[in-house]
Amino acid sequence: MTTTDPSPRTEPRSQPRRAAAEQVTADRHARRALSGLGERYGLLLLVVLMAVVFSVLPESGEAFRSVANARAIAANQGVGLVVALALLLPLAAGHFDFSVGAVAASSSLVTAALSAQHGLPLMVAVVAAEGFGALVGALLGWLVAYLEINPFISTLGAATLLGGAIFAYTGGLQITNGIPPQLTAVGSSQVLGVPVIAVVAAAVAVAVWLLTARTAFGRRLYAVGSNARATQLLGVDVRRTQLLAFVGSGTVAGIGGVLLLARQGAATSDSGMSMLFPALTAVLLGTIVVDLGRPSVPGTVVGILFVAVIVSGLALVGAPAWVSPVFNGAALLLAVGFARLARTRSGPGRSGRARRA
Amino acid sequence: MAAGAVAAQPPLVSVSHLSKTYATRVVDDVHLQVLPGQVHALLGGNGSGKSTLLKMVAGVVVPDPGGTITVGGAEHPSEAHSPALAAAGGLRFVHQDLALVDQLSIAENVGLASGFPRGRTGLVSARRLRERTAQALAASGLDLHPDTPAGALRPSERALVAIARALHGSRGLQGAQDDDGPLALVLDEPTASLPVDEVDRLLASMAALRDEGHALVFVSHRLSEVTAVADHVTVLRDGRVADEGPAADFDEARVVEAMTGHARAAVHHVRRPAPTGATGAPRLRATGLTGGALRGVDLEVRAGEVVGIGGLAGSGRTSLLRALFGDLPATGAVELDGRPLVLRSPRDAVRAGIALVPEDRLREAAFLDRPIWENLGAHRLLFGGAGSRLVSSGAAERRAAPGLVRRFTVRAPSTVAPLGALSGGNQQKVVMARWLSTEPRVLLLDEPSQGVDAVAREEIHRLVREAADGGAAVVVVSSDLEELEALSDRVVVLADGRVAAELTGEAVTRHAITVHMQGTTHRNGAAA
Repeated sequence: MTTTDPSPRTEPRSQPRRAAAEQVTADRHARRALSGLGERYGLLLLVVLMAVVFSVLPESGEAFRSVANARAIAANQGVGLVVALALLLPLAAGHFDFSVGAVAASSSLVTAALSAQHGLPLMVAVVAAEGFGALVGALLGWLVAYLEINPFISTLGAATLLGGAIFAYTGGLQITNGIPPQLTAVGSSQVLGVPVIAVVAAAVAVAVWLLTARTAFGRRLYAVGSNARATQLLGVDVRRTQLLAFVGSGTVAGIGGVLLLARQGAATSDSGMSMLFPALTAVLLGTIVVDLGRPSVPGTVVGILFVAVIVSGLALVGAPAWVSPVFNGAALLLAVGFARLARTRSGPGRSGRARRA
Repeated sequence: MAAGAVAAQPPLVSVSHLSKTYATRVVDDVHLQVLPGQVHALLGGNGSGKSTLLKMVAGVVVPDPGGTITVGGAEHPSEAHSPALAAAGGLRFVHQDLALVDQLSIAENVGLASGFPRGRTGLVSARRLRERTAQALAASGLDLHPDTPAGALRPSERALVAIARALHGSRGLQGAQDDDGPLALVLDEPTASLPVDEVDRLLASMAALRDEGHALVFVSHRLSEVTAVADHVTVLRDGRVADEGPAADFDEARVVEAMTGHARAAVHHVRRPAPTGATGAPRLRATGLTGGALRGVDLEVRAGEVVGIGGLAGSGRTSLLRALFGDLPATGAVELDGRPLVLRSPRDAVRAGIALVPEDRLREAAFLDRPIWENLGAHRLLFGGAGSRLVSSGAAERRAAPGLVRRFTVRAPSTVAPLGALSGGNQQKVVMARWLSTEPRVLLLDEPSQGVDAVAREEIHRLVREAADGGAAVVVVSSDLEELEALSDRVVVLADGRVAAELTGEAVTRHAITVHMQGTTHRNGAAA
């Protein structure tokens, strides 16, 4: 029943009335589109605003404005962006994947161990790391899609297990000796003034964007995330789609691992869980950009920028260490709450009707 | 009916000059009187203001100032009405979804709604709750144990339990007034989710409540129920009372005219004398289908033919559609245009050109949060359309959407609005348009017009006929016998997983379907 959503009914019998009604509808759409613009790009505006504030503040201004800082942000966040993109794929299909940080960390270790300790060529080590990431993704996808194990549990379990395995292999020590110099050069060199890591991350972002936004497979991912059963009855193999989402996630996380090694110049005994929360924040912040409520690559890029500007700016201002997580957490809560309110407001009764389902 | 005898009694509920304005006026100067000992049917299309009117009477929605609401003999200005006043005046509501929690027992469900009784320790007393629930069930003539989980109940029992809870649930609770006086019970589409064979039980209970002196206000989309049980009919259209009077004076034509505002054109559908396929070769042929509730079903459908499937819940109706769509593992052979078809999953069926419009639209067909154009183009978007294009922006689907909306008479503000913003009938038309625009070879429909208003129902029926005329083989499962009678060239009646009868031409009547639905017992009786 549409009584709570009084949309104008067009009367086929009276042309003038119909025209008037269409005019009203058009006006309303124009206004909604304008306010929608604010809702959709509000986060981007906020990023720009924060960047301006940090550039102007006397404590941080000079350093924040510098090219070196921009390069540092781009290089540091390149890895973060790739890990966030790994998280995006299963999330588009409706599943959280808490293992992306751990997969990236363990892929970094696989690359380091094979090239530095077993003397394999760099390319072989990189391909092996990708294969490792894809394999972990396939296992998780199989657990989630075919055995129907809750993804929270299975991905958290896998992350914990990988973190333990990393510690067991490294014994808590870093692998620094013998990392191929070609790889560490990637971590510190630039192309046309842009850090190579950022270029690779951008290439991965474009690839993931094409995959999610411009292929039938990407649409299947989002469709599964919206209503898996309806997608199945449209003839989509939902389980395979979910499995492939996790395989894609593991592969992208593997790329993140290689970049991590390039950036750090060493494989650490860190479990990678510290990479998870910024990635999650970025993707979820991104759901209020472009297409409300839906994770997207452009949204994730804006989310990463937001996190990056805040982290860098606050560090330069000399804020205490606790400010950054408090700020990120608050931003996430506000953003998600804001998206929820915006959706409720844009359609009176819509959410109510949806809930009645 | 006893309408004449009770007319002298004061109404239990009476509203006058009641209006509600959101962006537009959705309820406009409505008068309504509900007398004790009457079943009052409230009809109207989607968007006619029924829900808002009921919510105002319940005190949930605050009406515009200027009207009055009288409940339990106390009149107050419309804007001062509240849920507490409604309850004190003897109003009870049963909502469409019944608000039963499946995992909890009947007793716990009663406790949730009307409070948990406390024992001497101050903690909830399970014993008292069980006793109170048992009393409520007994008072409603229900032979159920209070510890039965709500999820284990039959659909009609769920509705009856919800009614029992509304009527008697608070009896014996401290502070609750005595329920001995007549109550006004408001039922919002109580039969919408019931299989046809359970509707009668609910209608009989409603009649019994009326005979006890209670008043019932009941919203329904099924006109046959209205004529069966209602004493008085009020039809709303665009927020106003379009027509009202004793139910005996209403027939379907008058109701539809009141709902739509214009006299209905004569029904176009003439049942075609014989299957139109020149050679008579079937488009779809299934033999010995066994699986789910099916125990060896044969079915043949020709191109251009609409075959109705009748049967009680559990007879295998839905299993048959699921099996034909590859959604239910089944043994037996399926042939499409003479070629054997292996159906391991819905994917195989969709690839072969079979389409299914499922019964549960919200769970199984609608992407409520996605724009209408994406819902319309879902099939092409998910499979890359003709030829596998790697890079597709969806622009083609977006452009095609307005044309589809017009062609399938979907009433939508725009094609970028989310599907959830549409009424149920229009959502259903979007789901049908999604498939019909792909010109399927076989169209499977499960309860295509469930829960939509009479106007949308006729439009959906027209779409089904057009699909058949366009060359599709159509199979319609419906528990609505009027629908089967109106749509089908041929009706196959299932009972206990087997084909009980096949009716063609003039033999397709509600009566004949009903007789055969009863299945083996009935046939045995006839044979003996």
